[in-house]
Amino acid sequence: MHEISICQSLVSVVLDELTQRAIGPGRLQRVRVVAGQLHQLVPDALTFAYELLTRDTPAAGSQLEVRTPPLEAQCRSCGWRGAIEPPVFLCEACGAGVDIKGGDELFVEELELAD
Amino acid sequence: MSTAQIPIHRAVMDDSLRKATATRAWLAERRLKMFNFIGSPGAGKTALLEALADALAGRLKFAVIEGDCATARDAERVAARGISAIQIVTGEGCHLPAAAVHQALADLPDGMECILVENVGNLVCPAAFDIGETAKIAVLSVTEGEDKPLKYPGLFRKAGAIVLSKTDLLPHLRFNLDTCRQAIRQINSAAPLFELSAKTGAGLPALADWLAQQKS
Repeated sequence: MHEISICQSLVSVVLDELTQRAIGPGRLQRVRVVAGQLHQLVPDALTFAYELLTRDTPAAGSQLEVRTPPLEAQCRSCGWRGAIEPPVFLCEACGAGVDIKGGDELFVEELELAD
Repeated sequence: MSTAQIPIHRAVMDDSLRKATATRAWLAERRLKMFNFIGSPGAGKTALLEALADALAGRLKFAVIEGDCATARDAERVAARGISAIQIVTGEGCHLPAAAVHQALADLPDGMECILVENVGNLVCPAAFDIGETAKIAVLSVTEGEDKPLKYPGLFRKAGAIVLSKTDLLPHLRFNLDTCRQAIRQINSAAPLFELSAKTGAGLPALADWLAQQKS
């Protein structure tokens, strides 16, 4: 349900980049976003929000591509490192608490333009 | 058609994080701490702030920032306890934006040591937006059910402290306290858990002590 509010931030970053780089309407083809598993963003909801929020902007018609790196954790106690499946944030080996080492990313990776 | 790739590598929350960073710097200059209370509508967040007005009296001077979609009722309730309160009306917004909180700082009275922010009632969106707080405090009431932490792990994972409110109602509910504690520990084994009743005051001193002890 927080896809729309997060997508508002995403679209403002994209539009700001287009302005800064003097990229005119219609040239942006694709936006590649990395949204780690921790953020629990539903890609379909995100692309739907993106389409809605870019309408009538210089980014209109561009596609959003979402990559979701899995959650990776490291145990604070025994050092075990591996994939975890939310909502449980405990070490698989010893049951202690873990630190997140991957899957918490949320950034615009790349813009793809038509020449 | 040929295409060109332009690497960006810029945080989606870029603007929001900038505002949150500015707020953190503003707070640090004044040695202020700020806590972001997040929970469902009706979890008892405002009642908790009202109770803290008494529990922290003479120990920690605090002002309140209230976020709601409409009305200034919560700010009025807190102000009735002699606490300075600023209301931010978010309209359709489902969370308090970092920019709105930053703007509200200018209206705070002098001489404060702490700011308690009551975010818009919602277990999901407010957790995704850093507002520059010292810590997020998740508020879950016993009437919501013991499985909520597992259903909404995002907030409970990020919380620096977790409050289980309305414990005075436990005798009337089929709420398994141990199941709830276990669910919280699976998600966040580090945050302290405060089981309390804003109505009776039971358990409230422990939270007041924790708030008073946190570094700005």
